[in-house]
Amino acid sequence: MSKSFRQSQSFLHTWSGLVLGWLLFFIFAAGTIAFWREGLNRWMRPELPRVEQPEVVLAGAQRFLQGKAPDAKSWFITMPSDRLPGAQIFWQPQPKEGEKPRRRRGRDTQALIGASGDAVTARDTRGGEFFYRFHFDLHYVPVIWARWLVGLAAMMMLVAILSGIVTHKKIFKDFFTLRRGKGQRSWLDGHNATAVLALPFHLMITYTGLVTLMAMLMPWAIVANYAERDRFYDAVFAEPEAVERANQPAPLVNLVGVVRDAEKRLGGPIGYIDISEPGDSSARITLSRSGTSMLSARVPSLVYDGASGRMLWQSPEPGGATVTAGAMVGLHAGRFADAGLRWIYFLCGVAGSVMVASGMVLWVVKRREKLPDPARPHFGFRLVERSNVGILAGFPLGTACMFWANRLLPVGMQDRAQWEVHTLFLAIAFSIIYACVRRPAQAWVALLGATGALLCALPVYNMVGTPSGLFAMIAQGDYVMAGADLTVFVFGLAFGAVALRVSRYRPAEKRKRAARSVPATAMPALEPAE
Amino acid sequence: MLRVLAAVPLGYAVGSLWGMALARILPGDRSQVTIAATLAAFALCAFAAMWAFAARSGWRAFWTLLLMGGLAGAITWLSILVTGRI
Repeated sequence: MSKSFRQSQSFLHTWSGLVLGWLLFFIFAAGTIAFWREGLNRWMRPELPRVEQPEVVLAGAQRFLQGKAPDAKSWFITMPSDRLPGAQIFWQPQPKEGEKPRRRRGRDTQALIGASGDAVTARDTRGGEFFYRFHFDLHYVPVIWARWLVGLAAMMMLVAILSGIVTHKKIFKDFFTLRRGKGQRSWLDGHNATAVLALPFHLMITYTGLVTLMAMLMPWAIVANYAERDRFYDAVFAEPEAVERANQPAPLVNLVGVVRDAEKRLGGPIGYIDISEPGDSSARITLSRSGTSMLSARVPSLVYDGASGRMLWQSPEPGGATVTAGAMVGLHAGRFADAGLRWIYFLCGVAGSVMVASGMVLWVVKRREKLPDPARPHFGFRLVERSNVGILAGFPLGTACMFWANRLLPVGMQDRAQWEVHTLFLAIAFSIIYACVRRPAQAWVALLGATGALLCALPVYNMVGTPSGLFAMIAQGDYVMAGADLTVFVFGLAFGAVALRVSRYRPAEKRKRAARSVPATAMPALEPAE
Repeated sequence: MLRVLAAVPLGYAVGSLWGMALARILPGDRSQVTIAATLAAFALCAFAAMWAFAARSGWRAFWTLLLMGGLAGAITWLSILVTGRI
């Protein structure tokens, strides 16, 4: 079976990869950037100083909420830390008689408490949250459709990886082979090297990615065992008994003290604080441990009495399978990873993006040789070829444009955060159109070169136009901000280098071989073409 | 074309049905078994899709997957008939 099995899997690998390849590229690239979600949340609000004393911020948040919404139905506070721009707070007003409680958090019921402990207004931006959401919710499409599409793409990816392993019989030998400047061979080697180098990562990230959406993609095992879904959730996610509002005023205890006690009991930092019926004698404070401090995404939580500050309830030890699923989700998001491991995650993600991109380019390069008339390729071929340029070069360009929009759009602009995002997609649309009217070789150079220039110029602008320039941040020891600037700069250089290589490449037409005018750039294995 | 049909919708169905069957027959706490079966079901989907392309002919792939899915469905159905759901 060995040979024919491998051939069948080779076919499967090519087609499952191609069909959703561009979508996978978006997912991979956005997910890779989203590993810096928290860092980007800060970097895209350069006017906010770093949080030095989280407890001051927390006390400020409580003070603010007590003044603003003393008899709210609930308060929600993200625990501030030096990795976050501040404490993000939300509150939910008491539902009026006969009115359904609002499920969405409105703009008028949220605020950001900055380093000083007072409410601050930063430029309106979605920051790193955009990449995180885009990674599985996409944009401009209903969320449910998007998640099914992403789930399908992930499933295809899993199949493409498994069949890819089968296809490459010399998987380890291939990894050490990188034939530079040899057109199709180089692309294949680049594809193989980035794929094999990070193979365990790709397999892990794809499978655990499916697991993050498992309740939606694979609800069938629940259906098999439970007549009602809620009974399953009750069994897995235990919750304390709900309490009725007593309508007896009682001041809320100091949250700082409760957090200190909870951190001692849970053995790690607190991530979220949820307070129901603040200011009432029935107030309850729920604190859950931060996902940054443990592998499993199923974080334990504690409930305190809001009036007395006594601990009332502790989430039970989760079962083995719950912890397994939680650890898989945790592995996927990488929130537990410290700086070093975060970088490995990021670089593996870059390798994955390059793997998808080079696979798509390989498809074109391989088929060009087999075309009946290479000078006039058929429509399908041209479509893939042009879309490759527009999308694979368009997303990095769009990201660079979005970062610039984040810096340059006027602060008072209506729907400013939305327009940052629109900028990204407008740039992709422009790239696709540009790729259709220019020769692919030209379009690659222009788009990649523009991306490189835009990215390299950003840190320079930050030094002049924002209070958080590179040297100022290094002097303050703020390595999140400085690191973001440096990373952007290095990526700019890398995109510039790739553009240069493409522009210098001369196709091997003169050598009496099959004509190939595609810029097979012999991209070195780890060149980040994110 | 037949293989694609066998791989995508049928592959998902086979994985899901075996996920259901596993959730019924594995021993242990129901909620934990349910999660374990769900985790395994994704791998089963992938293997079913690979089989759809590895089989000697598209029809063969189609029928074997239909049979596999039917088997899992029967196990689930019988098991629910006997012990019921929670």
